[in-house]
Amino acid sequence: MNRVKLILENGLRDLKGGDGRISLATQTALLFFLMTLTLTSASIQSYLADNLDQMLGSDLVIESHSPLTKGEEAAFKSLAAGLSVTQLADITLTHKDEWARVQLKLVDDAYPLQGNLQIGNTPAATQRAVSRGPGVGEIWIDSRLAIKLGTRVGDILTIGGTDLRLSAILFHEPDRIMEGHSTALRAMVHSESFKGASIKSSKDRTRYLVAADENQQQAIETWSRKTLPGASVIKKFGGQHPLASFWQRTENFLGLASVILFFMGAVALDMTNRRWLAKMRYRLAIYASFGTRTRTAMLMALGEWLAGFILSIAIASTLTIFAYGLIVAELQGYFPGLSAAWHVAPAVKTIGLFFLLLLALQVPSFIQLSRASLLSLIRNPAESSYVWQRLFWSIASITLLAAAYSDNILLTGMTLAAIAAALALMVVLTWSVIRLGDHWGRRRAGLLPFAFFMMRQRLFAKSAQVMGLGLCGFLLLFSLMLMRDLGTTMEGYGRSHDGNLMIAEAQTDQIDAIHRWAGETGSSVRSLRPFVSAQLVAVNGKALADIQKPSDTLATLKDPIRLSWTDTIPKNNRLVGGDWWPAGTDNWRQISAEPEVMTDMGFDYGDTLSYQIGGKAYDFTLVASHAYQPGAGSITFWFQVPLSARAHIDAPTRYMGSMELPEPAWGALAGLWQQYPTLSLVPLQELTERFDQTLGIVTKVTSGYAAMVLLLALFVLAASVSGFSADDRQKNGLLISMGLRDTDCLRLNFYDWGVTALIAAAGAIAGTWSAGLLIYQAQFNLTYNPNILWVAAMVFAMVATVCLVGYLACRQSLKVSVRTLMAT
Amino acid sequence: MRDSIELNSISHHFDTASERIELFHSLSYTIRADKTLAIIGPSGAGKSSLLSIAAGLEMPAGGDVCFTIDGVPVDALTMRANSGFIFQQFHLMPELYAIGNLALPLRLKGYRDAFDIAALWLEKVGLKDRARHRPHQLSGGEQQRIAVARAFVTAPRFIFADEPTGNLDMHTSEAVAGLMFDCARETGCGLVIVTHSRQLAMRADASLLLESGQLKATA
Repeated sequence: MNRVKLILENGLRDLKGGDGRISLATQTALLFFLMTLTLTSASIQSYLADNLDQMLGSDLVIESHSPLTKGEEAAFKSLAAGLSVTQLADITLTHKDEWARVQLKLVDDAYPLQGNLQIGNTPAATQRAVSRGPGVGEIWIDSRLAIKLGTRVGDILTIGGTDLRLSAILFHEPDRIMEGHSTALRAMVHSESFKGASIKSSKDRTRYLVAADENQQQAIETWSRKTLPGASVIKKFGGQHPLASFWQRTENFLGLASVILFFMGAVALDMTNRRWLAKMRYRLAIYASFGTRTRTAMLMALGEWLAGFILSIAIASTLTIFAYGLIVAELQGYFPGLSAAWHVAPAVKTIGLFFLLLLALQVPSFIQLSRASLLSLIRNPAESSYVWQRLFWSIASITLLAAAYSDNILLTGMTLAAIAAALALMVVLTWSVIRLGDHWGRRRAGLLPFAFFMMRQRLFAKSAQVMGLGLCGFLLLFSLMLMRDLGTTMEGYGRSHDGNLMIAEAQTDQIDAIHRWAGETGSSVRSLRPFVSAQLVAVNGKALADIQKPSDTLATLKDPIRLSWTDTIPKNNRLVGGDWWPAGTDNWRQISAEPEVMTDMGFDYGDTLSYQIGGKAYDFTLVASHAYQPGAGSITFWFQVPLSARAHIDAPTRYMGSMELPEPAWGALAGLWQQYPTLSLVPLQELTERFDQTLGIVTKVTSGYAAMVLLLALFVLAASVSGFSADDRQKNGLLISMGLRDTDCLRLNFYDWGVTALIAAAGAIAGTWSAGLLIYQAQFNLTYNPNILWVAAMVFAMVATVCLVGYLACRQSLKVSVRTLMAT
Repeated sequence: MRDSIELNSISHHFDTASERIELFHSLSYTIRADKTLAIIGPSGAGKSSLLSIAAGLEMPAGGDVCFTIDGVPVDALTMRANSGFIFQQFHLMPELYAIGNLALPLRLKGYRDAFDIAALWLEKVGLKDRARHRPHQLSGGEQQRIAVARAFVTAPRFIFADEPTGNLDMHTSEAVAGLMFDCARETGCGLVIVTHSRQLAMRADASLLLESGQLKATA
């Protein structure tokens, strides 16, 4: 009991010191960040799981971009206890002069198989439950759409020449979960309402809601894999929510962000560890002088460290409760019904992982502690610095953590490569600058040569200090720069886009109408590129559905993409690898892909990519890789094939492009849409509004992240000053005892911190520069074009801050008497 | 002779980058718990190394050391668990009060009444009114008196003192030395002192001179 009390007393006493406080604050900040992230994530996952149970509208759902033939549908019906077929298409719905892009659902008489629809007579009316969808000739629209179009129950809406009576406001569909986090405006019509008229776009989906027992479900799953290779299957029990993989990817990205924060925290902790270790070695040596065994003393040291960790858990948990509540309240806009419940298991897992990581960082210190000897109190034995061991353990644990967390190996690799390059540069700079400075000052008098001499004596410690500050400066600079540039790019989207109306998708017959309409309204068509809707179903014979990894690219490829054709490399593309096909080639089974897609999916030249196009299978051999280059229009495609391939592909051609509309033409758009509801035109203003919304979310997330980075940067700076203050005090005491004045000490200190900060800043700039070159183009499609003035201002701010903090610390240490300075 | 340390033909040296420095060769001596022993000699003669070897902190390069507690041979670890140290630099814990420093070894050994015993010892060394003072608020002599009391407070079998008065003036040295020898005789604990001071050495039951690698008895 006495020992436990002693452990707690020691632990608390250590926390009262500067190093202890910085260490506690760093641990708490990191744990707070990780726990908040974990609890938010657990809430969303639990919300998704609950949702899956309650909101599928059937036992099983199969969604496909290529509908079944009549024969296949009959075979399907024979396997299931019940079947409802719904179709989904993106159209533009108009009412008078108002329009809106809408996701139209065409339902049959069997819809829904399970659960009820909620409808009302006005957007604010009391909802009532019904078990069937709209009748033939009726349309239901959601409340936001009704408000946007300024329409009410009883009005007539026209789609593709068919008049439909608005008979209810739609509040809830039992298969709503299938829409994921989409906030698209919705409308519902009976499928027999459009007799003969076609509602077709490349993004059309057919959804089969199935009632089936477990055996039937298994049989259906096996059957669908053969018949519908590109289809997704969602089961109520034992299935995965359609949003789950999206959230997994988000988590992985946040995981990488956490790794960077942890890296900075590790730097601060390593710096405070230096003093902690010296104190513990002394304490353990004294314990040994009373006959305390090394094992007991080590256990006590471990106990003291644990006491600090437990305290940081307590503080971080309290802070997490508040932050978690606030974040969940904010997220309820995106996930209605999300609640801030406590998730003990994920929280404990996070604490456990964090504990293991901190322990890994502490291993070199404990190894050194186990060698603490009573002999050090009798004479001063030479001690190794253990800088390399500490560096190894830090980098090894963080690299493993990064590899475990991130799904984007390219981004992780680039981040770590930039960090490694910055570290290497800082080591080389520190050693060469200090050695050269010392060599230069050997036969010179004055404070600067003496400063170099002192730094040379503490070369290892100085290197650690420079690397810590430089790494921290790099991460801070890069985060701020990326935030600023992403924001500027998103805001400047309107300026870079050619035209003020984007043709997101148009069918061949609609192109003539567009040209006609453009002529009538004085508008001009700026660009048009043809494509077919194609779904990648297999790579080298392996089905895409069998590849399980949380990747953005893979998620996108599980839906149809746009496949374009061209003989020559488009002007806004450049060849980055492989061989582009010669113009007019007969070998049409060739394909070129963007490098990011190739890297993320692990494609190699020579791979066979199998596509499902218009219900038929086509194989292409990957021969080249093309990348986007600005300056000649913004429309580019992930995959391109030779022009000769078009003749062999049996699928309707669609187009995307851009138009420039004069002000009076906007009012005439509604007429065009009434004739061609599937024509997808997106006004630039709407596009920028969407960007603003996204930018708003991105800004909130990145601001929070930047605040954390800044906070940890401050901890690193404080740890750096505090960790070396005892050495500086001793040095200052010695100099004053030799007759130097306070101002001389301050100048000497200024030289010391100035050199440290300049080398660290050079490393930070080099790291940011290499990260910019590596990451900007590849990951964010941005051109890295650093603003020299901005970079210079940042360097100046960094050097000034470090020197100022160093100056203040030195002034503080000079306030104590020479006797005290000498005694330390 | 229930508690003893037997040094049998021990030799020791240490290596520098360019040469090997021989400290002593083939030394034999038996240290007993009921006696006080002083080791004197010039700087660099190897006094501290001899003390470290006798205390079981270091292994000699040649020869062997036998430790006996209660008549039973024990290893160096057990020996160290039954020893105490007094240093030239005092080495008190700077963050603890005087009484906290004194109670520390007792608490480590699990004594429930550690602070009561510590208070008695503080009174014994004449520092009762300094209980709530930290080491930097005490003079060198006061700090060393606390260090002496701290070494004796758990009643070890042997105390090893490395230049215990090296940092003190003559008057204070006298007082601290008196305290050390009194405590040793009172508790029946073996005291081994390494010192430069012949005056201090003369207080011991036996005194040895370590010079040129040889150990000689002095008068």
